[in-house]
Amino acid sequence: MSQIIDLPDYKEQSPEVASYFKDLKNRSKVLEVNRAGRVFASPKGEIEALKDVSLDVYQREFMTVIGQSGCGKSTLIRILAGLETTTSGNVLLDGEQITGPGSDRGMVFQGYTLFPWLTVKKNVMFGLQVSGKAMAECEKDALQWIDLVGLKKFANAYPHELSGGMKQRVAIARALANRPRILLMDEPFGALDAQTRAQMQAYLLEIWHHIDVTILFITHDLEEAVYLSDRILVLGANPGHVQEIIEVPVERPRRPEQFITAEFLATKKRLENLIHVSAPEHIDTSKMLGMG
Amino acid sequence: MGSHQPPQPWFRVGTLLSEKRSGVLMICSFLLPILIYSFVAYCPIFWGHAYELTIAARPDDKVEFGATYTQGFSMEEDEFTRFQKAIRDDNEKLTALYQQGDEADFGMSPRAARSHNKRLLREFEPVLSRNGLFDISVKEEMETKPYYQLLYGAAYDTWGEIATGKEQLQKGSLSEENREIIKKNWALLSSVSETYDSGKLYSKPIYKLIPQGNKQVARASWFPAPHQIIRRGWEDLTGKSELGDLNVPTRYLQSLKIVFFGFFVACLIGLPLALLAGTFSFFSRLIEPFTDFFRYMPAPAFSTILVVIFDIYDQPKIALVVLGTLPHLILMVANTTRMVDQPLLDAAQTLGARRGTLISKVIVPGILPHLYNDLRILLGWAWTWLVIAELIGAKSGLTEIIDTQGRRFHFDHVYPVILLIGITGFVTDQILASFRTVLFPYAASEKKGILSFAFAMVHKLFKSKKATS
Ligand SMILES: Nc1ncnc2c1ncn2[C@@H]1O[C@H](COP(=O)(O)OP(=O)(O)OP(=O)(O)O)[C@@H](O)[C@H]1O
Ligand SMILES: [Mg+2]
Repeated sequence: MSQIIDLPDYKEQSPEVASYFKDLKNRSKVLEVNRAGRVFASPKGEIEALKDVSLDVYQREFMTVIGQSGCGKSTLIRILAGLETTTSGNVLLDGEQITGPGSDRGMVFQGYTLFPWLTVKKNVMFGLQVSGKAMAECEKDALQWIDLVGLKKFANAYPHELSGGMKQRVAIARALANRPRILLMDEPFGALDAQTRAQMQAYLLEIWHHIDVTILFITHDLEEAVYLSDRILVLGANPGHVQEIIEVPVERPRRPEQFITAEFLATKKRLENLIHVSAPEHIDTSKMLGMG
Repeated sequence: MGSHQPPQPWFRVGTLLSEKRSGVLMICSFLLPILIYSFVAYCPIFWGHAYELTIAARPDDKVEFGATYTQGFSMEEDEFTRFQKAIRDDNEKLTALYQQGDEADFGMSPRAARSHNKRLLREFEPVLSRNGLFDISVKEEMETKPYYQLLYGAAYDTWGEIATGKEQLQKGSLSEENREIIKKNWALLSSVSETYDSGKLYSKPIYKLIPQGNKQVARASWFPAPHQIIRRGWEDLTGKSELGDLNVPTRYLQSLKIVFFGFFVACLIGLPLALLAGTFSFFSRLIEPFTDFFRYMPAPAFSTILVVIFDIYDQPKIALVVLGTLPHLILMVANTTRMVDQPLLDAAQTLGARRGTLISKVIVPGILPHLYNDLRILLGWAWTWLVIAELIGAKSGLTEIIDTQGRRFHFDHVYPVILLIGITGFVTDQILASFRTVLFPYAASEKKGILSFAFAMVHKLFKSKKATS
């Protein structure tokens, strides 16, 4: 027997969660986006990819951006990385306007972007070397980061010898090695199978727990968004605009069991409604009760 | 290993064959053309027969047989039969004359008869030298007259031995018919002297030897048989042939120099330009449109101009190779440079890399495996310009051999040179291709060439030996 259960309002927060957010918002703002817009010129006319997008990201926050395909998520994160420019509005990093790409904003891409001609170690050392650090120091640092992502044994392997998940771990290590203020991740686990993906999520939370870094994360996967984030920015389409910023009412530290808590499901439901996932979801309560 | 697997089909869409099978096919791909060529070359249906004279003769009928027939002369079958018949007729006429007794008119003075007889002795030379009874190489160290004295002596003695049945000639070097003729001749000759003496030579004409020849497939001159090509090629390569100053090894080095120097100069000019054009849109727009236009003007069209500018020796030839290769090099490498993964450039920028480091640490290493491939292909193009380049100004290199020998219809000299050019280009390319996997282990490997296949086989053998020891 199955029945539809009533979910609580996703805005309801337990006292712990409420105080967590209060604390979060007292921290300094790493990133401020003020009414950012982006218009692309194309042969068929102008495409407005982003319009009046404003958001703040706080120190050591884990923020996720979700939205339909083509709503401008990548455009937004590329603007933050400095790989793309705004056509209106501005972006401040620690209160200063950004002018181009820089090592203070690390980025992990959906596709594999390790340099295929460099070993894992050399890949991680890349940014350090560019910054002009001494060779020995670069190497020492790089090895520490590689160890942190659990790939010590593969330090001298070439990217083509690694699995997809391993490649992304190296990419994370490579980005973090520069000690960026914020780590930008554009669907980093999009190409991975479900199991690897779950592992990578755990890894990422683990790293985030250990390292003082702010993360802005793009995903298609609603559960992934709820599971990982403090706040979720839902980007509406045509043109890309901020639909809502949701504070995830799920307690930290996060564990996979929380996937079927009421708060989790309520948040997920809200996201579904926002981005129009049409298929209605029936929840098997017997399973839930069994979990007790 | 795999003993229970069902046999894989040989034909299957979109599936690669096993290493072993592709190896077999690769060998076949070379073997097949060689076999077809050999088949055509050796199969008489395509060509008919010919006789290469081993014993020449001179018929009295100078109208029908006007040429100078010497050893090695090649005749078609029916011509050869008529040729033999003409000599037999001559001999019959002579028999008739001898039967007339003393009043017979041989139509020549005793002096003319003696020189006629000497010539017949001389025509026996191929049989002598083939049987090791006479060494023609002494000709170079001797005056003409004593040399011929020696030759006549040797022939005379051998005829004597043949007549008395003491000689031991190799089988097939003398027909029974000719043996009988020699016996008749010896009866005449020995009536004057048992040994050769120019003063005591029989003064009436003796019988002519019937022409003999090796039966052969009569190929066209432009279709030499594989064994002829190989033999001639080997002789040419080792300097044992009559090519004289057209020495193949030195010519080969000349040609190599033109190709590689031309290619090197093209790289020197082209690579920086191409790299700039591939990296910066500015240079791309500035350089590429004209280059694109320029490559449609065939490089050989500039040959006379190049000769005026650079004189007739190596420079204009090198210039032509450069001219032929450079535009393609610029366009191809610029394109390759543009193909560097944009995400890699993005990633490098978020790691703090700026213009200079971006070029030196991302673009260049990123395109290197592709660049290597491009240059391999371009080197192949440089080879294709070689022959035209060497024809301009003073002919040089291997092309001069092809040109002069080809004009004389000595295609057995031409084919080895063409093959040499082909093999050199191919082997260079294959060696470079097999280095690619060593130099760029991370780059996706392309289809395997015959050489890298051979390397792999040797490697496997070596490995299995190591494992067993
Ligand atoms: N360089 C560009 N030139 C023109 N239009 C562009 C460019 N980049 C993006 N766009 C347009 O901007 C819109 C947003 O694209 P974007 O890649 O940011 O979407 P996205 O949300 O990341 O999609 P996805 O989830 O599929 O990755 C799209 O309509 C796209 O066509
Ligand atoms: Mg995207």
